[in-house]
Amino acid sequence: MARAGSFVEADNAEAIITRIEHKSRKIESLLKQYKPVEALKTALEGTYAMTGDERCKSAHWIAVHRALMAIKDVDGMLSSLDPEYYDILMKYLYRGLATGDRPTCDQCLRIHEKLTEKAGLGCILRFLTDTVNTV
Amino acid sequence: MASTLRPYLTCIRNTLDAAMCLQNFPCQEVERHNKPEIELKSSPELLLNPVLICRNESEKCLIETSINSLRISLKVKQADELENILTKKFLRFLSMRAEAFQVLRRKPVQGYDISFLITNYHCEEMQKHKLIDFIVQFMEDIDKEISELKMSVNTRGRLVATEFLKQFI
Repeated sequence: MARAGSFVEADNAEAIITRIEHKSRKIESLLKQYKPVEALKTALEGTYAMTGDERCKSAHWIAVHRALMAIKDVDGMLSSLDPEYYDILMKYLYRGLATGDRPTCDQCLRIHEKLTEKAGLGCILRFLTDTVNTV
Repeated sequence: MASTLRPYLTCIRNTLDAAMCLQNFPCQEVERHNKPEIELKSSPELLLNPVLICRNESEKCLIETSINSLRISLKVKQADELENILTKKFLRFLSMRAEAFQVLRRKPVQGYDISFLITNYHCEEMQKHKLIDFIVQFMEDIDKEISELKMSVNTRGRLVATEFLKQFI
């Protein structure tokens, strides 16, 4: 039974990675059209339906990272983003801050400040307590 | 350099504000004992996600929270060998006097320069926002202190060398 479970998960992982690749292509095309906010929304939606193993999480992180680095106007982006995405965005911001890569950290710190002002400390706390749905 | 310092400190302040939610929690395994759970890490249900906030490749801050204690570990920027030695000596000096600081940890966590351990007792005696102010102020001052130390070492070295070599003119 456990082996059948792991086979199902492997298939699932492949399906998830294919879906993430589709999303990446969509994000690239949106970025070419200078729509970084839509690209970020595309990257963030459906994250929870796609919880999988480390490969899926890394693939997802790469897509979100691409969209995040293209954002220039942080205030505009936050005002047009739905509040339901604040928690997921905060999780990806902390993942970005953990990388230690200077441009990523700069961008993430900038967005983090504004997002905390908008979403409040509850957003950070939800990230800290959520040990199940990690990114 | 200064341009990322403000957002870095703000991020740490906000995260600490959210993470410093400590309450008294007696040890689950041993009767009548009360231990900081973040140091033991024996029960995963008592721990929150650790947070790593990097400003760049050399400076970072690790914040680990549990139900009754919070550990903050800092890695300070060290540009060259001299700063490396100065930082180590200076922070070791502070860590040895951890009793006076109360919230300082005697040994830094592996991979970091200095660590703070804040327990629920500290939060009961002292005000939470003042504790956070202290940590952030410490981070600001440490950079200034290290640069001052470096400058004074260089000045002293130059003076000594000048005086010594005068006799050979």
